[in-house]
Amino acid sequence: MITVLAVTSFVSLHWRWYRSSSQNHGRGAALPIAAETESELDQYAKEVLDFSSHYGGEGSMSYTMWNAAGPPSVFPSSGDFTHTAVFRTYGRWWQDEGVAQRFSRTPSSFHSRDFLEVTFEEQIFPTAVTVLETYHPGAIVQILACSHNPYAESHTTDVSVCRWEVLWAGEPTKVTSPQARQFCPPIRQISFATNLLRLEFNSSLLDYYTELDAIVLRGVRKRASGITPVIANTCPAILNTTQDNLTEGNGYFAKLPYELIQLIVSHLAVPDLCRLAQSCKLLQRHCYDPLQYIQLSLQPYWSRLNDLSLAHLQSRCTLLQRLNMSWTGNRSAISPTGFCSFIRACGASLVCLELSCCHYVNGTCLEAIAQTCTSLQELDLASCDRLEPQAFVQIAKLVRLRRLVLYRTKIEQTAILSILTFCTELRHLNLGSCVMIEDYDVVVSVLSARCRSLVSLDLWRCRSLSERGLAELLSGCSALEELDLGWSSALHSGSALHGASASFRHAARRLSRLRRLYLTANRNICDADLEHIATQCPALEHLDILGTRLVSPAALRRLLQSCPRLRLLDVSFCSQIDTRTIQELSALFPNVSIKNSFTQ
Amino acid sequence: MLSVLSYGRIVARAVLGGLSQTDGRDYKLVTASCGFGKDFRKGILKKGMCYGDDACFISCHRSADVLGVADGVGGWRDYGVDPSQFSETLMRTCERLVKEGRFTPSSPVGILTSAYYELLQNKVPLLGSSTACIVVLDQRSHQIHTCNLGDSGFLVVRGGEVVHRSDEQQHYFNTPFQLAIAPPGAEGSVLSDSPEMADRSSFDVQLGDIILTATDGLFDNMPDYMILQELKKLKNTNYDSVQQTARSIAEQAHELAYDPNYMSPFAQFACDNGLNVRGGKPDDITVLLSIVAEYTD
Repeated sequence: MITVLAVTSFVSLHWRWYRSSSQNHGRGAALPIAAETESELDQYAKEVLDFSSHYGGEGSMSYTMWNAAGPPSVFPSSGDFTHTAVFRTYGRWWQDEGVAQRFSRTPSSFHSRDFLEVTFEEQIFPTAVTVLETYHPGAIVQILACSHNPYAESHTTDVSVCRWEVLWAGEPTKVTSPQARQFCPPIRQISFATNLLRLEFNSSLLDYYTELDAIVLRGVRKRASGITPVIANTCPAILNTTQDNLTEGNGYFAKLPYELIQLIVSHLAVPDLCRLAQSCKLLQRHCYDPLQYIQLSLQPYWSRLNDLSLAHLQSRCTLLQRLNMSWTGNRSAISPTGFCSFIRACGASLVCLELSCCHYVNGTCLEAIAQTCTSLQELDLASCDRLEPQAFVQIAKLVRLRRLVLYRTKIEQTAILSILTFCTELRHLNLGSCVMIEDYDVVVSVLSARCRSLVSLDLWRCRSLSERGLAELLSGCSALEELDLGWSSALHSGSALHGASASFRHAARRLSRLRRLYLTANRNICDADLEHIATQCPALEHLDILGTRLVSPAALRRLLQSCPRLRLLDVSFCSQIDTRTIQELSALFPNVSIKNSFTQ
Repeated sequence: MLSVLSYGRIVARAVLGGLSQTDGRDYKLVTASCGFGKDFRKGILKKGMCYGDDACFISCHRSADVLGVADGVGGWRDYGVDPSQFSETLMRTCERLVKEGRFTPSSPVGILTSAYYELLQNKVPLLGSSTACIVVLDQRSHQIHTCNLGDSGFLVVRGGEVVHRSDEQQHYFNTPFQLAIAPPGAEGSVLSDSPEMADRSSFDVQLGDIILTATDGLFDNMPDYMILQELKKLKNTNYDSVQQTARSIAEQAHELAYDPNYMSPFAQFACDNGLNVRGGKPDDITVLLSIVAEYTD
């Protein structure tokens, strides 16, 4: 922690020094600088600050979000390259994973599923933002700019200074061609210079993973005169409705049954609800009724939510059951204290809590959750990668948990073991990319002993799971419907010694209920494995065997014949499967989406 | 504001002061490459820096010049695998690691280790194996840090004499240490050495030192005295003359490789191992020739 602080302060000092020296230069030669300010400046992204998910491994540089920084390395080529930034999922295949139902009241204009925040060297007034998409473009739905300079010397972030403005917003598009493109939407003028952009994505209409090569911010150092900013000030505190002097007298409207007005009001989005509450006392009573806040998704308003708005919401949310605060409160807009007091006031009947990418969440917050939300069944902490490892022990107190997402967190072995020991009702568990867990075999053996009703398990990029662990898991958790073993590197080295990969056949024999099986980049999957999967998993819907050399077209055909419910089959980079085979099989089995990625 | 400025000045002074303490200016490497593929048709550069199954890279980041060669093991052709894919991907990955600054100059083994790890992270199921040799010049400390796995290698020549060289690592005759990704089921039967097995060294260099990094195609066909003779012709540090010398060394090695009567170092070594072999050793040849020069912008 101290080293991180030291590094950031050093960087900012350095930056300061660099800036001041360059400014001094500028004063020496005033004319060229003046000429320069007129012209537009292009900048590639300098650093990736935050993101919601990525395909690559944490220590790696293949398919990770950090690749979005710097100049392009693939463009104008198209294809599936390691040098690009790739999100974890695409399409609708992963959407109903777990039981996360969509929150009602989510505005229809909110499409974002993933995001990426990038910084640039210099603050400029943007005139264009260009995203080089090198594979399956069309996922970008929103581009925002922030007024806060992440390289500014002061670290006391003033919340009011940090303002996000939408530069462009659109709908997810379906681009059928995977070819590379330069995406350069028309953007709105904003009133401040920026060097922090946020891109939001929705890949749900795409056929495969979208890949980004680089992001270019074009702009001018001084705003050209004559251009007035379109939006001088959007009311930033829309959620902070205060008591106004409202008068009585609502005419016949007041005679309507209470439930009817409640029903009408229930169709409004949260900001509209707050606005309506300001109109008259009657509607205020309706809009503040805790029954309107049984489920609350604040994710669409991540840029505007702060401690103050949480405090205002507090009195109305006493019956809160489902709360989505994902993406909110970054850059200190929400403090741990503010969050804790909200949870302590409104968390008693909470069943579902989504907190992905909430970097204010710390040990104290988890402690407050553990103490207050005793009936919590769902907890999502995905990509809370700054949450300290010790904090996770608190989760073990939430004994009624059914769904737990710890994707890309720093949870350690002791914490996960104690969670698994106490939370025996777990149905859905995501331990993807948890790099601090040393021995997945131990984790999995506790899992199979304690959580026998497990339905879905995501072990994406777990490095240490062996065949022995997998066998143990399958002997205990016989209800498994969904198993993600993508990029589990230890699974493919040892098994080969005992002839072909016996463990997968074992897996297939145990799992007659299996609907989704991801064996991505397990180089050992062979024809015999596929045969077993074909005979033992009649309910199979998704199968991913990317990157194996040992699967033949004939085995693939048999699998397709015996799994009538199969919808997704990823056979990318399977060297025996060529494009013609794919075409033939796609024609024979039109209900199955057969994926075949390419690099050249 | 003012305090920040003055603090900035102090930092700047500290940085500049730190520089002036090391003796004189920074060094850099002027590097040229040349090579030949074993197959005549592929004699020229395939895509980028590739000669047959050999591959190489030249890159730099901040205060470090980095270069490397890799020799893809040809035996993989029998399995229907293009051996150049492995060596090329390895070198391209090293290059990317260097460009992005994901390394420490004092640890070339680190570059090799991360590059090998990245190969496993590729969606494409790579197969193959390769030797590798990486040389890093730390411009500030005037030191080269090297690592070498297998029978590629480097020479540091000063005043017409070899003052430092890599050690060859072989399991047995003509079977060098190698990084490998084996096909599933054959992990036990394929030679695969960890990047950590690489031989490492650090060496202080001086202005005018010549560093010759090459694959075994060169060292198997040209003895030291012939290489030194060629290097004597290199008089100055501009890129063109380095390129010319590199070319003439590679050409000579290439000629000797196809001379059936020439007693090459390889043939000599084979005789020592009880094999009756004469002539050059037809092989891919990659030569990276660098000269240590003063750093200029």
